[in-house]
Amino acid sequence: MRSTVAVVAVTFALMFAAGDALRAHHSFAAEYDRTKPITLTGTVTKVEWQNPHIYFYLDIKNADGAVENWAIEGGAPNALYRAGWRKDSLQAGSAVTVEGWLAKSGAKLANMRSVVLADGRRVLGGSSAGDQPN
Amino acid sequence: MIRLSRRAGACAAILSVAVLLPAVATGQTGEPKPDLSGFWINQYTPDLSRVLGGQPPFTAAGAERWRTVDTAKDPTGRCWPPGPTRAFTAPFPFLLVQQPKTIALLYEYFTIWRVIYMDGRPHPADIAEYPDFMGHSIGRWEGAVLVVDTVGIDERSWLDTAGHEHSDKLHVVERFEKDGGNIKWTATFDDPVFFTKPWSITRTFTPGKADDRIMPYTCTDNNKDVDQVRPNQPNLNYTFVPEAPR
Repeated sequence: MRSTVAVVAVTFALMFAAGDALRAHHSFAAEYDRTKPITLTGTVTKVEWQNPHIYFYLDIKNADGAVENWAIEGGAPNALYRAGWRKDSLQAGSAVTVEGWLAKSGAKLANMRSVVLADGRRVLGGSSAGDQPN
Repeated sequence: MIRLSRRAGACAAILSVAVLLPAVATGQTGEPKPDLSGFWINQYTPDLSRVLGGQPPFTAAGAERWRTVDTAKDPTGRCWPPGPTRAFTAPFPFLLVQQPKTIALLYEYFTIWRVIYMDGRPHPADIAEYPDFMGHSIGRWEGAVLVVDTVGIDERSWLDTAGHEHSDKLHVVERFEKDGGNIKWTATFDDPVFFTKPWSITRTFTPGKADDRIMPYTCTDNNKDVDQVRPNQPNLNYTFVPEAPR
């Protein structure tokens, strides 16, 4: 039990450290694998600013050079709004690097921990204070 | 047609409101009740045991449910309502609309509501035949504290995202009191099937800003999680330590 508590505590610490205690109604662990962190770099194709989570989609070139479209899950619109983010904080056409955790299902889906633009600015994570959104 | 001058009209309006307000706000004891109305922001609390400082005082039956819970079976994942207290610990704001005989809680989460009957009625004698995911709530004022009593909560609701469950015998008492510009909310859970004694948590609701709004939330539209969750039983190693009997 102690190790379980430790794992849970580390997970929560990571979530809060990422400035995103915005995991919504479902269990993170039922959907995402915290042992499978992933870094994805691509171009934003679409942003869905909707409850219970926002989603945005990335065109990513895989190892074969083919383009895959990935879905990235984020927090809830009102919570993001309070942190200073807006519907247009992340724009289609932006080049971004996402750090997150892979879906357990094998789908091209990840839960975001951080989103960084090509110029190094963070988006959608923690607070926008100090990082001006677009 | 008589036209009041703008100043006379304003005075009349102010006077009429001044006369009406005390009548609305005063309870039986004559002291003014606080108005809890407003846009309120929750403290996201996916696991109540982290606020409690440990697991609740389980019965053997309650402990076995906790040990075996599969978080992929979260009722909210199927768009079932969150229950009266989980709506206050989810990461979504709510509106509280206070009137003398009813208080309405309008949650962004699931666009669902609760009503607290303030007219002195009891819980219906047949409430157990009509379980409601959000329960049946009656309220009263104890001084400046709103005390709400809720029963008839559908046993399929969960108390939190971590998977703390309850039976149809759950009886929740909530206390709402102004705390500076915030609301301090204390919920006490009493369920003799799951817990050997009542236990309580306290959270703070902070006020929204003038431009805050309730955002749309239609669970069945954009429920991408439902196909993605996989069985997840994180507590299988939980060791039950019996509490002293009631």
